[in-house]
Amino acid sequence: MEFRKGKQDKIKRALLDQLVFLFPMLLFLIILYGTLFWTIYVSFTDWKNINPNYQIVGLKWYKFLVSQPRFWVDVQNNLKWLILGVLPTTILAIFIAYLLELSPLPGVESYVRTLLLYPVAMSFIVTGTIWSWMYEPDRGVINTLLRQLGLNSRLPFTTDPQTATYWLILIFIWQYLGFAVIIVQSSIRTSELQEMVEAATVDGAGKLRILFSIVLPNIRSGLLVLVSLLLISSLKVFDIVYIVTFGGPGIQTDVLALNMWITTFQQRLFSAGAGLGVIIFLLAFILVIPYTLYAFRRWFE
Amino acid sequence: MRKNLTLQILVFLTLLVLSLAYLLPVYVMITTSLKSIEEINRGNYLSLSLSPQFENYREVLFGSPRFRSQMMPRLLNSVIISFSVTFLSLFIGGLGGYYLSRTRTFFARLLFILVGIALYMPYQAIIIPLVIFMARTKLALTHWGLILAYLILNVPLAVVLLGTFFLSIPRELEEAAQVDGASKIQTFFQVVVPVSLPAYASVAIIVLTQVWNEFFLALSLASPKTQTVQVVMAEAKGTTLVFYNLQMAAALIAVSLPMLFFLFLGRYFIRGILAGALKG
Repeated sequence: MEFRKGKQDKIKRALLDQLVFLFPMLLFLIILYGTLFWTIYVSFTDWKNINPNYQIVGLKWYKFLVSQPRFWVDVQNNLKWLILGVLPTTILAIFIAYLLELSPLPGVESYVRTLLLYPVAMSFIVTGTIWSWMYEPDRGVINTLLRQLGLNSRLPFTTDPQTATYWLILIFIWQYLGFAVIIVQSSIRTSELQEMVEAATVDGAGKLRILFSIVLPNIRSGLLVLVSLLLISSLKVFDIVYIVTFGGPGIQTDVLALNMWITTFQQRLFSAGAGLGVIIFLLAFILVIPYTLYAFRRWFE
Repeated sequence: MRKNLTLQILVFLTLLVLSLAYLLPVYVMITTSLKSIEEINRGNYLSLSLSPQFENYREVLFGSPRFRSQMMPRLLNSVIISFSVTFLSLFIGGLGGYYLSRTRTFFARLLFILVGIALYMPYQAIIIPLVIFMARTKLALTHWGLILAYLILNVPLAVVLLGTFFLSIPRELEEAAQVDGASKIQTFFQVVVPVSLPAYASVAIIVLTQVWNEFFLALSLASPKTQTVQVVMAEAKGTTLVFYNLQMAAALIAVSLPMLFFLFLGRYFIRGILAGALKG
C-alpha cells in the first residue's frame, strides 16, 4: 500500500514537472496556430469593411486578388527580391570571408567585422531613412558628392519606375552583408576544414581551386542556413519599401507584404488581406522546408 | 610573389570599397544630426558642423514646432515593451527549450516542428486576428497588447536557441542533482540555468534587438500611448520632409539601445547572431 502511494506521488510529481515546462510554451503555440487558422478562415469569408462578416464565400477574394494587376506586380517584385536579395549577398559574403582568411593582416579582421556588422543593430526603418536621404535625386548625399567631384550626376535612384526596386534591394544587401560574412566565416573556421585546406595547400593546390573543391562543399550546411534566412527576410520585406517609397512610383515597388497592409488597414478589405497573409505564409513555408528538415535532423540525432 | 601582390591589391580594393559604403552613411548621419538646416543647405555634407547644434536632439526628444512627434515617451514605450518581451520569452522559452531538449517522444517531435515553423511565420499571417482581439479586449491601449503579440513569435525563437544550447550540456550534471533528490524543476533552475547564463545573455540581446527594431506589428497595433520608436520614426520621416538634421538625430536616438549593445557587448551580440543561425 505504502509503496503504491509513493509511486503515485512520483507520477504526479513527474506530470506536474512536465506541465511547468510545457504549459507556457504550449499556450503561446496554441495562440499562434489559433490566429493562423483564424486568418485562413477569414480569407474564405466575405469580410470587406470594418465590421466582421464570417459568411463563407469560398475563393471569392483569392479570385479578386489574382484579377488585380497589382498582385502580379507584387509577385514580380518579390521574385526580384528573392533572387537579388539572396544571390549577390551570399556570393559577396563568400568572397569577403575567403579573402579575409587568405590575407590575415593584423587588425583588419576586427575592423571589417565592426564596419560590416553595425547595420545589423539598426532597424530597416532607420536604414531606410538614411538611404532615402543618400538617394534623394536633387539634394541627396550621393548625387551631391558626385557633383562636387565634377560629375554631372542625375541618378534618379528610387524615383525611376524602371529601376526603383533594384535600389531598394541594394539597401537590403547593404544591411545583411555583415551578417552573411560572419556566418560564412564561422563555417569556414571549423578545425576539420582548416586541416583539409592545409593539406591541399601542401599538395600545391591553387587558392581558387581550394575554394571551389574544398571550402564550398564543406560549408554547405552553413550556406543552407544563410540562404534560408536571406530568402525568408527578402520574402517578408516590408519596412524598407514602406519607409523609402511606400510602393511608388505608382505601384512599381509594391510587394506582397505592403499590399497586405494597405489592403487590410487602408482599404479595409479584411478577407482579401487575410488571403494575402495566407499566400505569404505558404511561400515562406515552402522556402524553408529544406532548412526545417535539416534542423529537425540535427536536433533529434 | 607576384600572386601575393595581386592578392594584397585585391584585399586593399575590397577594404576601400567596403569602407566607403559603410562609413559614409554613418558619418553623414552623425554630422548631419548636429548641423543647422542652413548649414545643410550649403551642401557640404562631408564637413563637420561648424557650431554643433545639440538643440536638434532636444527638439527630437521633447518636440518642437518643426518636429511635433516627441521621441521621449516613445523611447520609454520601446524600452518597456522590448525588455518585458525579452524577460518573458527567455523565461518561458528556457522552460520549453529544456523540455524539448530532454524529451524524445513523438509529441516532442511534433512540438519541435510546430516551433520550427513559428520561427519563420510572417506577421502578416496572424495580424488580423491579433488586431481584432487586441481591440476587443482593449489590450491594444496598454503595453500588454504589443508585449503579448511579440511573445507569440519570440517564445518559439527563445525555445529553439536556448534548447540548442541545453543539448550541449552534459547530462551528468543533472543526473547528479536528481540522485540527490532534486525535482526536475529544481534541477533546471539550480543546475542548468546557472551554467547557461552566457547563452541566456546572447539570446536576450537577439530578442531585444529584434523587438526594438520590429515595425510591422508595432505599426498595426500601435495606439497613441504605446507607439514605439520605429513607428514614430516612420511618421516623422513623412512629416519633417526637408529637416534632415532632425531626421538623422531621430534616427540616432532610434538605434541607440541596440547600438550600445553592439558596441559594448559585441562578443555576445555576434554569438547571439550565430546562435540564431548556426550553433549554440
